Amino acid sequence: MEVISNVANAFIGLFNAGGEQFVSWVTGIIPLVVCLMTAVNAVIGFIGTDRVERFCQKITKYTILRYTLLPILADIFLTNPAQYTFGRFVKEEHKAAFYDASVSFCHPITGLFPHANAGELFVYTGIASGLQELGLSVGGLAVRYFIVGVIVILIRGILCEKIFAALSK
Amino acid sequence: MYKTITIKAGSGGWGGPLTITPTEKCNKVLSVTGGGIHPVAQKIADMTGAEVLDGFKTTAPDDEILIAVVDCGGTARCGVYPKKGIYTVNLEPVGKAGPLAKYITPEIYVSAVKESDIYESDYTGQAVGNPASQSAQEETAKAGSEPKSKAQAKEEVAKASEGKKENIVTRIGKVVGRVVNICFQAGRDTIEMVIGTILPFMAFTATLLGIISASGLGNVIAKTISPICSTLPGMVIIAFVCGIPILSPVLGPGAVIAQVVGTLLGSQFALGNIPPQYALPALFAIDAQVGCDFVPVGLSLGEAEPETIEYGVPAVLFERIVTGPLAVLIAFAFSIGMY
Repeated sequence: MEVISNVANAFIGLFNAGGEQFVSWVTGIIPLVVCLMTAVNAVIGFIGTDRVERFCQKITKYTILRYTLLPILADIFLTNPAQYTFGRFVKEEHKAAFYDASVSFCHPITGLFPHANAGELFVYTGIASGLQELGLSVGGLAVRYFIVGVIVILIRGILCEKIFAALSK
Repeated sequence: MYKTITIKAGSGGWGGPLTITPTEKCNKVLSVTGGGIHPVAQKIADMTGAEVLDGFKTTAPDDEILIAVVDCGGTARCGVYPKKGIYTVNLEPVGKAGPLAKYITPEIYVSAVKESDIYESDYTGQAVGNPASQSAQEETAKAGSEPKSKAQAKEEVAKASEGKKENIVTRIGKVVGRVVNICFQAGRDTIEMVIGTILPFMAFTATLLGIISASGLGNVIAKTISPICSTLPGMVIIAFVCGIPILSPVLGPGAVIAQVVGTLLGSQFALGNIPPQYALPALFAIDAQVGCDFVPVGLSLGEAEPETIEYGVPAVLFERIVTGPLAVLIAFAFSIGMY
């Protein structure tokens, strides 16, 4: 009898641990995400995506902006996966590079703007919540993740553009 | 001569049944599954007489794609084609999910499909071609028969309201109403996202993590993976492996693997097995494959030509071998002074 109850306890224990984890995420992550996402969604609603589109069409001719500001705005205002539709503003030979820059930014952005890719929060949140358990503040991590993200997408965009040019010759 | 088929949802599936017939124009089956043309796509093509395309190598204009075959776990791809008005077969048992869930309806989408779920059909009352091309036809038909254009209609409305200047109270009321509406809609979108996507993912990951930590598997991970993740060369190697062009499209879908690994690493950071200054490089090390599964779909969303997709896919995949490890190094440099 004791064996059976021990087995049962161990079995339930597996899921108790999961349950505790679930509750800590729901109370620790969701409240902030809900309020932040609602605020940003409302701001996007006020500004309107048509204004952003008009602005984005103007900046595609500058290489640096094409692989930094353009994907950032696309991520923030259209969110994953609709952000890639901004690819229609860039020239055919730049589309692959824009896609690469844009998709590579859809996780670095989630530290500061979780609404932009709410379905894939845990790349950042998974690691950040581990640091929070140590009692560390993660604000600096979110900002640095964003900055390094911008640098990386610029490098990816430029390099991808060059490889594409070499391949399509 | 094209034939009509019916595709039903497989076990655990959702949506459908879809009854489809190719037309002269709309006769392509797009297989967006990675690793070549999927047998389900091939079978649909064989039974209808349509042409099958590998979505990772090429694509076709939307009005020529009769049906798209995808293998999406419920993040992005499963909604992209329904949004465009193209019939969609998902090989995974996924219902209305992801950011584009509102476009996924049983009339256009069917999931968990296997080869045995495709039947010949003699039903003739169904629509022909994809729904997008039908509505386009209807619109051209309408435009022909309807003399009143949108612009004219607008003019009439403007004329009718002329002279009736709104007073200030009405105008303020309208503005307030609009503001409240936008905020309320923002809240609704957020809650939908939390319930439809974030909470299910938390449930899945929390259960997995609970089993790992309570069963003692966590200790194994702590002893094997953590030492690799707490050195810079280890991180660079992880990024390099994630960026290998054969692996990256497999590791990519829905960022599920990156998210699970991120959470696992998070628990190791919490236990102190990996020093916190490695958090930033780790974020890039586990994510070198980001979006590699989605290149053809992303490019077609950006209205790229088929030729661009053909060269764009290898350009992105090969470039990641270099930029994946490079990103880790940049992140490492930027971690200096943090924690």
